[in-house]
Amino acid sequence: MRRQTNNPKGSAKLNPGLALLALAGFLVLALPVLALLTRVPWSSFFEIAVSKSVLLALEVSVVTSTISAVISVFLGVPLAWYLARGPQARTRWIRPIVIAPLVMPPTVSGIALLTLMGRNGMFGKYIYEATGYSMPFTTTAVIVSGIFVGMPFLVLVLESAFRQTPIEVEEAAATLGAPPAKVFWRISLPLAKSGLIAGAVLAWARALGEFGATLMFAGSLPGVTRTMPMAVYSAIESDQGSAFVVSAILLAVAILVVFFLRSNLIKTFSR
Amino acid sequence: MLAKKIALLTAGVLALTGCSDSADTATQSLAPSADTEIIVLAAASLTQTFTEISNKFELANPGVKVTISFAGSATLAEQIKQGAPVDVFASASSSAMFSVSNEIPNSKTFARNRVVIAYPITNPKNIMNSRDLNSKDLIWIQCDHQVPCGAAADEALAIDGVTAQPKSLEPDVNSVLNKLLAGEVDAAIVYLTDVFANSNLTSLEFSNNVSAATSYSIGTSNEASSAAQDFVAFVLAQSGQDVLIAAGFDAPPN
Repeated sequence: MRRQTNNPKGSAKLNPGLALLALAGFLVLALPVLALLTRVPWSSFFEIAVSKSVLLALEVSVVTSTISAVISVFLGVPLAWYLARGPQARTRWIRPIVIAPLVMPPTVSGIALLTLMGRNGMFGKYIYEATGYSMPFTTTAVIVSGIFVGMPFLVLVLESAFRQTPIEVEEAAATLGAPPAKVFWRISLPLAKSGLIAGAVLAWARALGEFGATLMFAGSLPGVTRTMPMAVYSAIESDQGSAFVVSAILLAVAILVVFFLRSNLIKTFSR
Repeated sequence: MLAKKIALLTAGVLALTGCSDSADTATQSLAPSADTEIIVLAAASLTQTFTEISNKFELANPGVKVTISFAGSATLAEQIKQGAPVDVFASASSSAMFSVSNEIPNSKTFARNRVVIAYPITNPKNIMNSRDLNSKDLIWIQCDHQVPCGAAADEALAIDGVTAQPKSLEPDVNSVLNKLLAGEVDAAIVYLTDVFANSNLTSLEFSNNVSAATSYSIGTSNEASSAAQDFVAFVLAQSGQDVLIAAGFDAPPN
């Protein structure tokens, strides 16, 4: 069943024109990152990395993106399952709505969240009038932004993973008397495990990197709502050293995520 | 399956960005060819006034085309240092102007602005003076400390004895203003010119207007044409000052 998708010996030859374009493509992606690395003040890296402002941003980022990812899993697993196995007449309409935040400009996501949950928002207004609670400027708002932009990744990857399991396998278990919940927990979900992991990591990484929607919806206050990407933006004008140190940390996380995903995504999609 | 989806998404995103790029080039090539072009980089808070001033300048100087790009002063200074084409730089912060003293050797103050406490004209929270910001029931925000509007706010707040913390330190004044206009905050520290530009806002001044003030300076680059120098003179003269003062700026000190 395993499809051979790559050529381990690398014997395929590109013609020179294509090779040149491939090189140009590589440089477009690699050079900015390289340029960034040249500006990181390596000698004082550690000192800056443990400074109060960087640690505060790190803490806000790690805590909020992790909670966002956990909630995304709780809500996204059933949603992905529904999209994979639910009636197509409905999923056809639900899927685009679920995936849209993935390609939405972050500022649009921020406005959308404010319009719903802001103090004058569709729901937020009633909550504020009834309880005096308003979500903007709270750590909760950062978490909600993270869910909004991250969960679509989980659903997208996990739905595909669920679809990789032949439906006959699930039907066979059902015919043998397993109730639907048991089929889901014992067969469908375990078989989609690497998709779940890949999706959760992508959702987490997306929440970690979120900037625009969070700034619009949650604002930026050290220790409360200022995440690492916002700390980079804030420091670039006054304290370039720490801007580059935080950038380097985020870059390292991105590279780790990519290496981690490589194996899990291949497992998911080459069965 | 996923690979296909991702490829489609990527293509879509590329198409989007591609479109906007080509749209930019299209506008540029469609613009009437002028004999002289002046490239002006101006602080974001000058968006309305400098657009108006440049229109007036173009009317008075046929054959000269003024192209302005607006952004935060520090961002523009960084672009100038990296070699972005520039004839005239108008900065909202003296430190940004100072940082490009190699590229823009001479500059003059052409206007001042001051930060104020802005709130809706209906004043639902009954704000009477700057100390009301200390109230726990009042949600207010300001610019981040290193941005000119934030630095001025810090100083003015300290003098007025405001010890409460803002709910957010926003990266620029527009971001502060947007949250005030959206009704997410009760008050915000923005420029007086922002209050002038929004009829549903009113404001309260700080007790010390000197500390609340920021100076705007303008200068030309080394290679600037005489048209660029004319533009600076136009901003400093009555023609430009009228527009600035009508928008709520103060005249430069003599």
